Amino acid sequence: MILMNFVTNYIDALLRGATSPHLGNGSISVARGMAIVLLGGAFYGSVMGTFGGFTGDRPLQAIYSGTKVPILIMLTGALAMPSFFVLNTLLGLRSDFGEVIRALALSQTAVTVVLASLAPYTALWYASTMDYHAATLFNAMMFTVAALAAQWVLRRRYASLIARNPRHRITLRVWLVMYTFVGIQMGWVLRPFIGQPDRPVTFFREDAWGNAYVVILETVWIVISRR
Amino acid sequence: MRGLREIDRILRGDVNSSSNLRERGIALQFGHVIFANILLAAFAGACLGVFGVANREEPEFRFMLADAIKVPLLLGLTLAITFPSLYVFNALVGSPLSVAQLGHLMAATLSVLVVVLASFGPIVAFFSITSTSYPFILLLTVAVFIVASGFAMNILWRTIVNLTIRPAPPPTIPPSDTDHSESVHALNPVGSEQVGSISPVVTNWAVVKVFAIWIVAFALVGTQMSWVLRPFIGAPQMDFTWLRPRHDSFFEAVAKAIRLLLFGA
Repeated sequence: MILMNFVTNYIDALLRGATSPHLGNGSISVARGMAIVLLGGAFYGSVMGTFGGFTGDRPLQAIYSGTKVPILIMLTGALAMPSFFVLNTLLGLRSDFGEVIRALALSQTAVTVVLASLAPYTALWYASTMDYHAATLFNAMMFTVAALAAQWVLRRRYASLIARNPRHRITLRVWLVMYTFVGIQMGWVLRPFIGQPDRPVTFFREDAWGNAYVVILETVWIVISRR
Repeated sequence: MRGLREIDRILRGDVNSSSNLRERGIALQFGHVIFANILLAAFAGACLGVFGVANREEPEFRFMLADAIKVPLLLGLTLAITFPSLYVFNALVGSPLSVAQLGHLMAATLSVLVVVLASFGPIVAFFSITSTSYPFILLLTVAVFIVASGFAMNILWRTIVNLTIRPAPPPTIPPSDTDHSESVHALNPVGSEQVGSISPVVTNWAVVKVFAIWIVAFALVGTQMSWVLRPFIGAPQMDFTWLRPRHDSFFEAVAKAIRLLLFGA
């Protein structure tokens, strides 16, 4: 109960920080934010993995996906971080980097909080359709909504940085492009998340390696050439 | 019954008048209201089930029981699905409502919905007994739900607008800054203690927008949930079941239509 209160208070402060005039920088801890990424990501992931139902070894998929969503979010950030650090240093923004990491980490927390709050919709969607592709699209939509909503938190935290040095505006854009670029491939490598009902439950696909962008181009090509 | 008295206060507009809101927020006896809501929804459900009793060779009383369970369940589940994201987006856009306040607001809104539903219950029951047309009862039920939702939406809307009113920024700020962009929040902290000293008020439209989207989501989820929980009325030629097997849906039909439109397959 105390833990629950603690989490809700933290989340409330984080979300309201997106619009409140004073950020109260000391009160919001990044470490706790990361703990919430783990919890919230695990929650959404496990809902995401229930598409195949609950018979046989299907519940395993929920556990696998619950493990993989936090990995997806954190590993993507970790991979994009070194080059972002170098970029910031090159543009002479090194002294702000602590605050930058904070902003980015807390916006990751916001992504997972929003994602977790959308999980009931995903559950209802699964309860209403057997169509795997529709389920994939719906999940993509939920991730997009969460990412867009978290922009509020990110922009608010970046506002003071940009006020100090307008170059932060550039780095913020670069970060978003880099994160999306890595994130899409990461999602591809870590699949399956939803679990196609006619394929066996696995942590990773055997043919996991491959390039998401090539696959997307191929899919587009197939659709075009069929016409 | 205390719950009904509370609901009466809601209906009279006592709870959501702007002066009361400013003084106390949304003040309800939460538990009593919830209890009364469930009872009223169950009553409305039982009235829906009358069709199953009156229009079969063997009266099927289980329809009344099933609907008395299902109508509260329908509303409760729909709320459970839409509430978490409503709260998250509310907090994100800087709404003054806490989780508890939001809970009270939802309870009050649903009170209006179930009161109207329940008040139409006898009429639905009357038509169910006297007419044999299944489509007529189906449409009547849909119409009653739409009317009830309209009343609930209206009271929710007024409450939200009253709640999100905050004082206009002090006159020293150039007029271009009085819009609702995020930068205004950042640069011009407006404390609530200034209420009263400045007469012009503005509404936090971002919050109102979040609620507008929530209303749409609630309607969509509610539609689908009623599909999942059917049968409510029970087509006369079909036997009684608590739930029908899941297949096809409102959303699936839409998705199919879109696919057909885009890809022709």
